Amino acid sequence: MAQPIYYTRAEYIETDTGNKVSRRATIAGPQNIILGGKTIISSGAIIRGDLRRTGPGHAVVISLGRYCLIGEGCVMRPPYKTYRGNFNYYPMKIGDHVHIGANTIVEAATIGNHVEIGKNCVIGKFTIIKDCAKIADNTVIPPNTVVPAMALFGGSPGHFIEDLPESTQEIVEAQTKQYYTRFQPLPSER
Amino acid sequence: MGLGVEYYCPCLAATPHPPPPNLPSSSHSFHPLHNLFFCEECDAVRCNRCVFVEVSGYYCPNCLFEVPSASVRAEKNRCARNCFMCPNCSNTLTVVPSDPPDTGDSRNSPIVISTVGEPPFFLYCNHCRWDSAEVDITFEKPTGLAAQLQKFEDSAPESLEFERLKEHFEPFLRASNSNAIQPTNSSHHGQLNPIQAAASSALSRDIPGVSKYNPLGRSRSGREKAANRNEIAEYKARVEAGAMGLNSGSGAEGDVEFVKHLETVEEVAALNQRWVNSWPASLHTSDMKPLRIPLHSKKSKRCPSCRHILIKPEQKAQSVRYKIKLVAANYLPAISVSLPHAQAALEMMKRSAGRTGSAANEEHSLAAAGGMIAGKTYPFHLSFTNPLYDPIQVRLHVQRAVPPITVVPEGGKAPRAPFAVTLPSSAFPIAAYAEAWEYEDDEDMFGDEDDFEGARGLKDRDGRGKTRAVGVLERRANVTVVGGEIVLGKEAKGAVKFNMLVTYTYRSDDPEPEGDIEGLSPSKAHGHSKAPEMKTFSFYTLVELGNIIPREDPKMDL
Repeated sequence: MAQPIYYTRAEYIETDTGNKVSRRATIAGPQNIILGGKTIISSGAIIRGDLRRTGPGHAVVISLGRYCLIGEGCVMRPPYKTYRGNFNYYPMKIGDHVHIGANTIVEAATIGNHVEIGKNCVIGKFTIIKDCAKIADNTVIPPNTVVPAMALFGGSPGHFIEDLPESTQEIVEAQTKQYYTRFQPLPSER
Repeated sequence: MGLGVEYYCPCLAATPHPPPPNLPSSSHSFHPLHNLFFCEECDAVRCNRCVFVEVSGYYCPNCLFEVPSASVRAEKNRCARNCFMCPNCSNTLTVVPSDPPDTGDSRNSPIVISTVGEPPFFLYCNHCRWDSAEVDITFEKPTGLAAQLQKFEDSAPESLEFERLKEHFEPFLRASNSNAIQPTNSSHHGQLNPIQAAASSALSRDIPGVSKYNPLGRSRSGREKAANRNEIAEYKARVEAGAMGLNSGSGAEGDVEFVKHLETVEEVAALNQRWVNSWPASLHTSDMKPLRIPLHSKKSKRCPSCRHILIKPEQKAQSVRYKIKLVAANYLPAISVSLPHAQAALEMMKRSAGRTGSAANEEHSLAAAGGMIAGKTYPFHLSFTNPLYDPIQVRLHVQRAVPPITVVPEGGKAPRAPFAVTLPSSAFPIAAYAEAWEYEDDEDMFGDEDDFEGARGLKDRDGRGKTRAVGVLERRANVTVVGGEIVLGKEAKGAVKFNMLVTYTYRSDDPEPEGDIEGLSPSKAHGHSKAPEMKTFSFYTLVELGNIIPREDPKMDL
């Protein structure tokens, strides 16, 4: 019943920890990006790990947890601001079981665990999305917004719509795990 | 349209049987499984419509501060820290100084000039660029803004009037609360009446044209009673009611003038911008004030009949864990439905996508969209997932066959059902849920066919049956897939949905630890060994299979 989602083996690089990264995704500054494992980065996604905080030393720009999905054509770039006259980028942290729909632009500061973000959304700078929240398709979340846990946000500007059911965590966890297992190379290529 | 299974909560009906699925109102009785609760005491499904909801804590959705319930009332259910909502677009406002580092925005300069000598901070909306300087609200320092704003709110004439009213009736309300147990409470001549009488006399005095509330001499008897027990003094309004409504209230003379001279629609505040206020607000967009953000609450839920707690969240506002969480998904098997013909069609579409679109392709696209053509027979698959740690036996019934009582009102429907559903009639087993399947090697649960054929050794047992449409099709882990069949009538149309009664038998207690679950479940399938401590639970579901495409539609025979 759960139909597999096939991809051509040539397109995706699979890491030891089970991350699947499309060769057609643009990964800038990979040394500054952490993937938790079993995370899928679809084709056409752009991840700007190169926009790092100024200063010496190693800096993690974008960290993603386990079982995440970055949809096709997504743009993930760290938020920036000018603080006391200094322009700087700030790291972006994303938890486990986070799915981001196609063509969404994310500039959030923090995204918790078990968060679903729909297609064609804009997540403004320094947005904080707490655990088990959900962003509907085509939502624009303005900068500095806080999305509380277990809330559904939608609209432009994004606003609270309703509380999600108590079992959201289990549902999302099952869905993200299932998506990862459904996402497999074409059988003819094996 | 669409494919799906919803579960029935009998809270709206007098009978335990659900209404026929084609009644529009029946959708109110069916819910997705994960929205339902399960009361262990009553052994019953509960839904959000019937549970008792209690607030277990308040928090601000923006700063996530947990507000103690004592201060919620004093702060009027809104955040008392630095969280404000834009009155224009309801986005969160940010505090900005009036001389921002970059003065590129030309709009900033007149503001600064107009507020010369005024405090330097104001609230600014990132989304619609509204700012509080537009309505002359600026702040001395960027902290404690809510307290300053609440001072404005509390000094509004409506708010003062309301406070005065509360004060006026407070002693009486307290008195009536204390002897609320008295039987007079039930009758209309009870304690509330003197309040009504006083209110109505105040209203009739202040607003011309409102007659005194005096149904059937009730107020008089009430007044006598009031005289007996508690004298309520005549309430004197702070301001004459008419004078107050002039500049703010709706329907006043000023508004007529304003609307007459409107130039753009934007000058009028939209309804959804005004109704968040406690008092009737001005019609002018230019009068809208920043609002403190209303608090949200965490809720606990109780069973409506036995009062046992079904949901109890953790105290921490942003925690997604629960101290008590009795959701139906942990008790009832999860059912999902699929139409193999739609999936096959999808495959075909993908394969033939490169080639030229043919007429056959068209049918595939219809089928892929979940459409079924009238007069045909389609198989469908129901997959059951067992959440229990014990194997269960499941039996299915289509509703119309089961409860003869509810069939009678169905006479309003077409004399013959537009479709007939065949389901496996015998009970089938579902293996127990085991934590191990949740762990890392869960890939092979959904892996390619030959994987679990070898691994589980269950599939080939069923595979012997070859292309059986009705019956158990597949068993793996705690999932069993059964096939059903639907025969559509020649002139059937509309959506295919039917009510299905699911009965499952489970072991209520688990005395002997079974060593090997995989070895046990097939033996149960054959032996059907009924232990004395078996329990049965039934629930109704609504199965939706999508829409029927009427015969008239252009279609090609394959």
